[in-house]
Amino acid sequence: MTTYILRRLIQTVGLLFILSVILFTLVNAAPGGPITAYAGRRPRPEQVERLKRQFGLDQPLPLQYVYWLVGNDWTKIDTDGDGIQDEPGARKGILRGDFGFSYRTRQPVLDEIAKRLPNTVTLMGITMFVALAIAIPLGIYSAIKQYSLFDFFATTFSFAGQAVPEFWLGLLLIIVFYAWLKNPVTGEPLLPSGGISSLDGGFSLSDRLAHLVLPVLTGTLGWIAWYSRFLRSSLLEILPLNYLKSARARGLTERKVIFKHALSNAMIPIVTLIALDLPYIFTGAVLIESIFAWPGMGRLYYQAAVDRDYPLLLAVLIIGAAFIILCNLVADTLYAYLDPRVRYE
Amino acid sequence: MFTKKRTLLFLTFMVILSLTLVACGATPAPTTATDEPTAPSSEKSITIVIAEDPPTFNPMVADTGYDSLVMELVLLGMADIDPNGNVFPELAAELPTVENGGVTIDEEAGTMSVTWTMRDDIQWSDSTPVTADDVLFTWAAISDPVNGLWIPGIDYIDSVEQLSKYSFVVNYNAVYPGYLTQFGGEQLAIWPAHYCNLEQGFVAWDCGREPLSDGPFVLHDWIEGDHMTFHKNDKYYLAPKPEIDQVIVQIVPDDAVRKTMMLNGDADIDMWINANTAKDLEGSEGAKVSLSPTDRWLMRLYINLAEKGTVDSAATPHPILSDVNVRKAIRSAIDVDTIVNEIFHGLATPHWTEFFRPPYQCAVPRPAFDPEAAKAALESAGWKDTDGDGVRECRGCTTGAPDGYKMEMEFITYAEFGEPLELTQQLIAEMLGEIGIQMNITVVEGSILWDQAENGGIEQSGNFDVDIWDDGYAGVDPTDYIWELYSEEALVPGGGNNVMRYDNPEVDALIDEAYTLDEASRKETFCKIADILNEDVPIVYLFTTPNLEAYSARLVGVQSSVNDLVTWNIADWTLK
Amino acid sequence: MNSISGAQELAPANTPASWLTPQQSVWKRFKRHRGAIAGMIIFGALATLCIFAFLSPFDSEKSNLAEKFLPPSSTYLLGTDSLGRDLLTRILYGGRISLAVGGIAVAISLLIGVPVGALAGYYGGRIDSILMRVTDAFLSLPSFLVLILLAAMLREVELPIFQRNSVLTISLVIGILSWMTFARLVRAAFLTLREMDYVSAARALGGSDGRIMLGHILPNGIGVVIVEATLQLGYAIIQEAGLSFLNFGIQQPTPSWGNLIYTAQDHFTKYPWLAIFPGLAIFLTIISVNYIGDGLRDALDPYKVLERVGEWT
Repeated sequence: MTTYILRRLIQTVGLLFILSVILFTLVNAAPGGPITAYAGRRPRPEQVERLKRQFGLDQPLPLQYVYWLVGNDWTKIDTDGDGIQDEPGARKGILRGDFGFSYRTRQPVLDEIAKRLPNTVTLMGITMFVALAIAIPLGIYSAIKQYSLFDFFATTFSFAGQAVPEFWLGLLLIIVFYAWLKNPVTGEPLLPSGGISSLDGGFSLSDRLAHLVLPVLTGTLGWIAWYSRFLRSSLLEILPLNYLKSARARGLTERKVIFKHALSNAMIPIVTLIALDLPYIFTGAVLIESIFAWPGMGRLYYQAAVDRDYPLLLAVLIIGAAFIILCNLVADTLYAYLDPRVRYE
Repeated sequence: MFTKKRTLLFLTFMVILSLTLVACGATPAPTTATDEPTAPSSEKSITIVIAEDPPTFNPMVADTGYDSLVMELVLLGMADIDPNGNVFPELAAELPTVENGGVTIDEEAGTMSVTWTMRDDIQWSDSTPVTADDVLFTWAAISDPVNGLWIPGIDYIDSVEQLSKYSFVVNYNAVYPGYLTQFGGEQLAIWPAHYCNLEQGFVAWDCGREPLSDGPFVLHDWIEGDHMTFHKNDKYYLAPKPEIDQVIVQIVPDDAVRKTMMLNGDADIDMWINANTAKDLEGSEGAKVSLSPTDRWLMRLYINLAEKGTVDSAATPHPILSDVNVRKAIRSAIDVDTIVNEIFHGLATPHWTEFFRPPYQCAVPRPAFDPEAAKAALESAGWKDTDGDGVRECRGCTTGAPDGYKMEMEFITYAEFGEPLELTQQLIAEMLGEIGIQMNITVVEGSILWDQAENGGIEQSGNFDVDIWDDGYAGVDPTDYIWELYSEEALVPGGGNNVMRYDNPEVDALIDEAYTLDEASRKETFCKIADILNEDVPIVYLFTTPNLEAYSARLVGVQSSVNDLVTWNIADWTLK
Repeated sequence: MNSISGAQELAPANTPASWLTPQQSVWKRFKRHRGAIAGMIIFGALATLCIFAFLSPFDSEKSNLAEKFLPPSSTYLLGTDSLGRDLLTRILYGGRISLAVGGIAVAISLLIGVPVGALAGYYGGRIDSILMRVTDAFLSLPSFLVLILLAAMLREVELPIFQRNSVLTISLVIGILSWMTFARLVRAAFLTLREMDYVSAARALGGSDGRIMLGHILPNGIGVVIVEATLQLGYAIIQEAGLSFLNFGIQQPTPSWGNLIYTAQDHFTKYPWLAIFPGLAIFLTIISVNYIGDGLRDALDPYKVLERVGEWT
């Protein structure tokens, strides 16, 4: 097991290296570079030259990659545009935890991410939690009552959840719960249109929760569908198996059979599935965050894509990829740990 | 079962983990700029909703408009421009002119010196006075070769010298008409020398995000992506202004949500709304729309006189558009009034010359909308529809196009403007289709349209036939703008913005004449240029759009401006 | 979630005539799934309407400014848009684009994923490990983020076939980021099937590798691929809509369901039908496609042999 994890970790390093090359090339090859985004509609050549120098875009692409990866403090660069490479570089490179500065704000990229990450973790964490809290009973019940009316409605609901474009649903919900429906007592809108909290007054838990209702509702539908369908089919898989038959034969109630025996096995794939979905807690949900004015990672990334903020784009992509790979490893390890039938060499 | 306990253990762990995450994530620490206590909530507070965070308080860094918006709340420049184009002093005691001796011109050398005297009663919010030291400091930061930036007029400045605690002189190597907003206007402010760290550089220093204020408000906190809170600056030099105690700038990315917030009375200002939103808000009780008194953006068709993909209109003329009669036919086939009324809901004004606003307005006769005349003109120019497909072909045209060459072109615009421009583009394509010119519509990202030629920028590399967008000059001095757009030197890729590849020596000579401070002679020169452009039609001018801002009915004093952001006079705003 | 068709599908070719052919039995089981049948009917109707959009009495592009922003009526069943064009006609033309994006994107995923999975599963060893590392690399990408990035970049690239903002470009971007599931499914099927007696027999008779893969293994492993393809179709349509909402999708004047909603945003409060109906079209399409997929899964895989998502590594 340890060897297996070690081998996977080494593979991860290689994989990340290849990804870093691909992503770096991809981002930098995009037509419509960052210069026009920062120098106005029709920039002057002097402006362009200076910005390129400040962003490090005046170097050939392979060198840019090296600087990005390992930094440039070991060499001298031209900072003032006189053509002489006379100043030592200041960048440390991502290998030493320096993801550079954002073109847009000129602040360290990691600071930008640190400001947004807690918000995304909150929103996505709660969304996933709510989704599981609903999906698990839903999945169990529709598996037990397969082809019943309940199962039919649960299935329809699941498919509907997957079929609604979330940005469209989000806008509709805002129109209904913010613009149309009013709180009968205060006359205020029933729910806020977005944001983390109301801006007048201090912290209040009910206010925070009110702000979470619509984005969580919008985001959670797809997850509910995904998890409940998964649990349903994985339970249906197990229910006819022999060991359950023997449990029944031993006179256990159906309730006990399902909850004590079937469920614990059916949950194994769900647990690994959750591990695989964890990266969303880092990358966030672009569309939901945009509509509900939620200051999270998704919006940060989208803004960076619009503004061609290369360092920020790359940081989110690379960290996101690393996170995904790690979660995959965790999922596989967990699977082996939870299910003794699986053994890795 | 054998794994039950482990599974349950793991699930419990997951639940605890996610709850912990939620609890930790719920309260992001605010960036507190000052140590002021939280203001009581009974005070006068307004909310401005904008689509994205300002990157910093320094608009020179990324020029998003949102940075200018918040800069106006906390920082002052030497002078600023009002909505009617008049320059007014802020830090300056008075505006330097030739008459009051503030400006001296050396006719022989072609140079000029501008002496600024500052008010001595303005202080930063930490009670340090604002002095010429700060101006010199700001100039040092801008002109730094490593971390500095290009600003308008910087090429003309030889030196900036301090004369006394409250005065300094700017020495120019040319006569620069835009000198009044050299250290002011919507983008440039004076930064505190004792507070900002020059070593961090103009573009990246911390005070760009936690500024010290000499404006009407002080930044209280900024939770990125969510909101910023500003409190009244008690040390503002125009005290007891501002009347408003607190300004909240809230970030709401979605246009439709911002509009709904205006309608619901949860927002007081929504900046840069489009004509559709303005139309929807007009009828509502709680919201009003402010129009800038003058327009700045002139919607126009850029016409490529060189063949698509080339940049030399003399060597490789455009097979269709190099004939001025074709260009005139295009102009008279477009029904500008319909576009203005139906798509812009009347919130646009037809204009047919670059010089449409004070101080340089030129009387150019309006080209008639006459599709029949346009058809006739195309016929006589040798463009006839002989195969009956509704699109004309070259039958004896004079542009050098081969016989039978179809009158079909690409018609580009940029996506960011939104629905009104896309509809305008579709309508114009339809109108040109009526006279037998087929326009194939493309919508691209603005940065691709305007990028450098070496990066594949569509306009600069000449890779277009016709495109449409709104352009115009800032402030009150069009000289540099005209030079960049119409002069022969600006014709080569990278040299300027003459992407039409328009080359007329007469215009070049007139542009040179325009570099003078004599307003009357400048106007005469500009109007001569306007007449020539009206005949040559390198650009088809369509209509101008004002800046539109939505504001709540309880707010008094809001005045949209094309010369500055809507917050330019926030110190004067009051609440009903 | 993803199931794999196992040995039960491997009916020998010399079935007595009285037996049902595999196709017949699949159809019989499919028919029992009412949701799937309803989905087929709705999806079929929508697709037919879109294909025959040109029969509409209204022009999808020509403006009619006197009749703009009309609410749904007996003349204009779904109302008119900001240039006075019939919304239903626009939605039908938009449906062509959205369905085309879905179809082409799935085709691209299949074109990449099936050969990768087949080669990896059939040959195993070094080929398998290289191909699976590539698959892993793609699976490690935060897909919607990369989709945004690619769409933002590629939509401005102008090549002979891949013109700016074209259907093909957007489909390519979506397809390139979603072939991995196919590769893994096909590989898993090949791993099982290549050990089957009839495959060994074919090999012993001197069948070429290509022939064995295409002629003997693929047809028996195809069920699970079809199920996944139907689900991916819906997924691609939603992806395109999401991109359009961020203004990175297909650009006007080519209407797609996504950009119809995007341009209707300005009018969401005042003329809500402009945004509601295209959204409903997406909703109906995807829910019916999902039902079809569900029905196919039941029909092709009656024993529901479960395949764990992470097990193919």
